[in-house]
Amino acid sequence: MDTAVNATFEVLSFSAIMVLVVVGLGIVASMMGIFNFAHGEFVLLGAYFTYLFHNHGVPVGLAMALAPLAVAVIGLFVERTVIRWFYARPLIAMLGTYALAVVIRETVRGLLSGLYHNVPAPLSGSFVVAGIAFAQWRVAIIVITILVIAASGALLTMTSFGLRVRASLENPALARASGISTGAIYATTFTFGVALAGLAGALVVPIFSLFADLGLRFLIQAFLAVMLGGVGTFAGPLVGAGVIGTLTSALPWIIPPVIADVTVYLVAIALMKALPSGIVRGGRRA
Amino acid sequence: MDGTEDRMSRINRRRFLTGAAWSSGALALGASGWVIPASTSWAASPIKVGIATDLSGALGFEGNADLNVAKLCADLINKSGGLLGRPVELYVEDTASNEAVAVSNVRKLIQRDHVDVVLGGITSSMRNAIKGPIVERGHTLYIYPQLYEGGECEQYIYCTGPTPSQQCDRLIPWLIKNGGKRFAFPSANYIWPHVLNKYARNLVQQGGGEVVFEEYYPIDQINYGATVNRIMAEKVDVVFNTVIPPGVGPFFKQLYEAGFLKRGGRLCCVYYDENDMSINAPHEIEGLASCLDYFQGVDKLDPGSAKIHAEYDAMFPHTKFLLTAGGASTGMYRGMMLWAEAVKEAGKVDRDSVAAALDHAKIAVAPGGPAEMVPGKRHCKMKMYIGVAKSGVFDIVESSNGLLDPKEC
Repeated sequence: MDTAVNATFEVLSFSAIMVLVVVGLGIVASMMGIFNFAHGEFVLLGAYFTYLFHNHGVPVGLAMALAPLAVAVIGLFVERTVIRWFYARPLIAMLGTYALAVVIRETVRGLLSGLYHNVPAPLSGSFVVAGIAFAQWRVAIIVITILVIAASGALLTMTSFGLRVRASLENPALARASGISTGAIYATTFTFGVALAGLAGALVVPIFSLFADLGLRFLIQAFLAVMLGGVGTFAGPLVGAGVIGTLTSALPWIIPPVIADVTVYLVAIALMKALPSGIVRGGRRA
Repeated sequence: MDGTEDRMSRINRRRFLTGAAWSSGALALGASGWVIPASTSWAASPIKVGIATDLSGALGFEGNADLNVAKLCADLINKSGGLLGRPVELYVEDTASNEAVAVSNVRKLIQRDHVDVVLGGITSSMRNAIKGPIVERGHTLYIYPQLYEGGECEQYIYCTGPTPSQQCDRLIPWLIKNGGKRFAFPSANYIWPHVLNKYARNLVQQGGGEVVFEEYYPIDQINYGATVNRIMAEKVDVVFNTVIPPGVGPFFKQLYEAGFLKRGGRLCCVYYDENDMSINAPHEIEGLASCLDYFQGVDKLDPGSAKIHAEYDAMFPHTKFLLTAGGASTGMYRGMMLWAEAVKEAGKVDRDSVAAALDHAKIAVAPGGPAEMVPGKRHCKMKMYIGVAKSGVFDIVESSNGLLDPKEC
């Protein structure tokens, strides 16, 4: 019984992290059609800025709130200078963003001297309920993720800006023809997507420690999640992140971890074979 | 649609050939390593020492400390007159924590630079990758300075880091006495934990303990909820950990959050040194036991170690790479100085003469204490210390009686 509760909590907290990481990637992939291979490195940047601000005396909670803003600034700069040349050639975007990822990752590695750094959580300690310890910070991450996703959903469905974003998500060509300024929407959306990734990095850095390869680990799983969930809607990547997050964190409880790693990919491939356009069919027609 | 199609068609044959010519030129010259030369005041030709270590990648923080120690040794040797009247020159190549890159970079040391000896490699997989180009095809001596799982008995390969026998023979009985009898072996999935666990399991069972479970994880795994749950549920007393960075930080943190240390559990990690302490907060690793050939606390017990540490700090005053034993820096010191002794005894630099002298070389001053090679075994006797982490600093709780035999080959 204890094990089941622990496992469920672990699945929930890891899936929450995956959702935060994947949402930004999914939105960019749906709207602009490019897979941003540097997305994992924006997670790393969120973690790095949290560590940097904290090292300069900023309280950790505030550092975590400021880090996504710093990442958003970098994201906007990157979008205006590098990414927007790729909108016309999505295939080259994969190489270009991969190169960008290497640049960001090795720069951070140099700044960290290749070392691993610990960042304390704003809430340490555990809630003990019926003899089972739940880490307070992991609970906080689940709550923050729910709030952020709800706020993003509300932004998309209840504002006119959100309406234009959704239009560009579903059918970019028609949106452009209808007079929606897709250039400005792309820049805003990309910035928002990487800010979410930065937030994910900031929130997880107390759990996983800061090191230069932090982003790589999330990148591959984020891609699986987006492809599985379906491109073209806001909900698709969320569902994909939930599935991949659940598989990745639940399987090691049942089967040996070395096999679990491979099994996640096998299951994902099988699911994609069964549902080729993803779990949530949004239909990207461009 | 817009000007993009025009731009594509302007890539014509002339531009393609120009670009190709430049790229092949760049590739031919190679993104290469570099040389640390002796000063120009030497008349004789230098003796070339190749250093092949991880200066970038996941193990960059250990490799850079190794390179610093190599520079320190070369400096000390040259200041005291060099070897056979000749200065020592370091040829450095980055193995980048990546075996494929390492092999091609190490080949440059052998074929282009013609070094007389190569020191380096941190993980066992790296050692296995680069020993071929160095020893078999390169016919060059290779000194491996890192603690490892034992079993490297090939000719012309000399190991100056601790072996499982030196690390575990006294540590496991100490753990049973100061931790408990129920052991867990959470491990990274590569060769060192597999072989070390087999050795440790024997010792645990001989001491009356039991190994509750032994599990292997992908090297980049960072989620350990299932493992932590098992450790708590099955009432494990001692976690004999061989999970390496990046997984070790989150693993220890999750263990702490689950209350393992609070209920009296003991952590043990035989590669953990002062450089690794920045990975976790001090309260998460309180009481962690490690058995290494040197801790910074040994400076108080051994004046030779204190001197070397002071020289290191003087040469590298603001470095983030500390002189520690878990990442091959102490083994690098022993390797360089034992090799220097061997060259002096042999009077020549060719491989077989130096190998014959290195076989029984000894030095009186090294981090941790004196060191001597065991004749015929190509492994090194050294003093070992059991250190326990207390508030972020290692406290020496036990020192070995004299130099311990590596018991290899």
